[in-house]
Amino acid sequence: MTAARGYWRTAWREFRRNRLALAGLVLVLALFAVALFAPFIASDKPYIYAADGRLRFPILFDYPELEGMNFREGAVKGFVLMPPVPYTSSEYDLDAIVMPPSARHVLGTDEQGRDLAARMIHGTRVSILIGFIAVFIYVTMGVIIGALAGYYGGVVDMVISRFIEVIICFPTFFLILTILALVGPSLVNVMLVIGVTGWTGIARIVRGEFLKIREMEFVQASRALGARDRAVIFRHMLPNALAPVLVSATFGIASTILIESSLSFLGFGVQPPTPSWGDILSQSRDFMDFAWWLTLVPGFAIFITITAYNLVGEGFQDAIDPRSVRK
Amino acid sequence: MIKYLVKRLLLLLPTFIGISLITYAMIRLAPGDYTTLRAGLQGELKAGAIGTEIIEQEKKLYGLDKPVIVGYWDWFKRLVVLDFGVSRKDGRPVAERIAEALPITLSLNIISMIIVYIISIPGGIVSALKKDSLYDRVSSLVLFILYSLPSFWVGLLLLMVFSGGDYLNLFPLGGIISDWAEDFSFFDRMVNIAWHLALPVITLTYGGFAFLSRYTRATMLDVINQQYIMTARAKGLSEKRVVLVHAFRNSLVPLVTLMATILPGLLGGSVIVESIFSIPGMGMLAFEAILARDIPVIMAIASISAVLTLLGILIADILYGVVDPRIRLEARQ
Repeated sequence: MTAARGYWRTAWREFRRNRLALAGLVLVLALFAVALFAPFIASDKPYIYAADGRLRFPILFDYPELEGMNFREGAVKGFVLMPPVPYTSSEYDLDAIVMPPSARHVLGTDEQGRDLAARMIHGTRVSILIGFIAVFIYVTMGVIIGALAGYYGGVVDMVISRFIEVIICFPTFFLILTILALVGPSLVNVMLVIGVTGWTGIARIVRGEFLKIREMEFVQASRALGARDRAVIFRHMLPNALAPVLVSATFGIASTILIESSLSFLGFGVQPPTPSWGDILSQSRDFMDFAWWLTLVPGFAIFITITAYNLVGEGFQDAIDPRSVRK
Repeated sequence: MIKYLVKRLLLLLPTFIGISLITYAMIRLAPGDYTTLRAGLQGELKAGAIGTEIIEQEKKLYGLDKPVIVGYWDWFKRLVVLDFGVSRKDGRPVAERIAEALPITLSLNIISMIIVYIISIPGGIVSALKKDSLYDRVSSLVLFILYSLPSFWVGLLLLMVFSGGDYLNLFPLGGIISDWAEDFSFFDRMVNIAWHLALPVITLTYGGFAFLSRYTRATMLDVINQQYIMTARAKGLSEKRVVLVHAFRNSLVPLVTLMATILPGLLGGSVIVESIFSIPGMGMLAFEAILARDIPVIMAIASISAVLTLLGILIADILYGVVDPRIRLEARQ
């Protein structure tokens, strides 16, 4: 006899069987790593600089005597170990504007002679950050509002459901643009606005799940034992309604990244000089007739990121859906 | 039926008021005084009395001197007689500007929607019937990729490759008709417009196409495993009849509701496509209005798109009853 496996472990076992979903997960983790370590992947400071009988780590520590030194292409004596992309995202070179990919700049340069690879790597942070925080905001809102509607039912449910119906009829993207135009586009505002406008889907899912769970014995049992509403909702009911919420949140990250890059593309996203993929793509429009790399690279990054999250979302969905369990 | 329709149409009113009131309140209450900003932008903001006077005049003109709720009521009263006010940008009536832009965006979207439905429904059905065949696997993969492609990127790539530059020069860079096409014959004008709209329509179409094909396949798979399909086959009906009459009709239900979910997204998609291809439609108008903080235009566009969305939901509900007679309209509220 085998021991009973937990719900999440079963789901993980199912998920692991799906190669594409697993590949998506690996990609998502890789993007995380790139975002986290961006300053160590693209920087003009070497990891190791060995000269004058001293070993220095300029990328980790500040050395006043090395201020403003160029370590690239053997410009200094001694042993130099540079990061894979030896440029920062803001370092410009007006002698090398809009250059195609070459050995010096693997992905080419933009209109200010900034290294595209460095900008892409640092731009990962904006996408990941906005994706996660905006989705966190709206999942939290959706869970609370949906749980209230589903748990209490009656008048509360009716008011909330009507309100959700009104919100769903809003042209969301237009609304986001309008609000950003009024409050001014910035990293925080973009996250807040996407977060505050996106909660209805989650609220509907949670409401539906709660309506189902509400009648189950364990809920009645915990109520009979004298648990307060808050404990019943969050400790007992919510964990049982969480799986579809997490699936929806995974797809939500993909669409949030898409919305963010669309906003940046229209000039309503994160403001320069912070590098963002949508903004890089938007700048490329001026050089579109010849600078293919400026269009191709950021668009491809957005596409791959969205694909990765969608793959994980689909794998996750299949894994928790009992109907699709493969024999 | 008529009673139901009237009831539903009346129910739209509170929802519409909710949407427009929230939009209005948000624009009014958002930080940043746009009147000052506008006066300042135009260099009119002179020190002292004149500057203040201009601001006061502006505020009065657009009802900004009144409380939000009074301002909204004024706006609503004028809306009832279809008076959307005048655009702050060029002083033209908002209704006139929308009358120019709306047909362009609507026809673009209707064309692409028709293409989407024509291609993806048969494609999805075939995929579902030949589940796990080579065709199914390849098309699923391609559709998944199309589904994740950002439309603004596809639009830019199409422009880059097909519209001049260093590559092919097959399509125009933007707009909907050539300047020189004014005195063409009707047929030649249509050809010219089609030539302009080819790339934008592709950009608008491929995403919905991927979405709908995947959706059709999934619902068809659901239906095909039902017992009544087995019964139909056991009765000795031809496969064609089983698929087209028994299975397809039942997979229509979710496809209909889909229309209602697609509609609210149309305006957002139009903003991007129209900005890439310089098409003077609703998306472009909306974007310009937002940049100029042109409240009458923003309000008008928000209302029109809310009405379209609400009607889309209503039509979907009615069609629901048509494709599935078990659903009685009166019972669904």
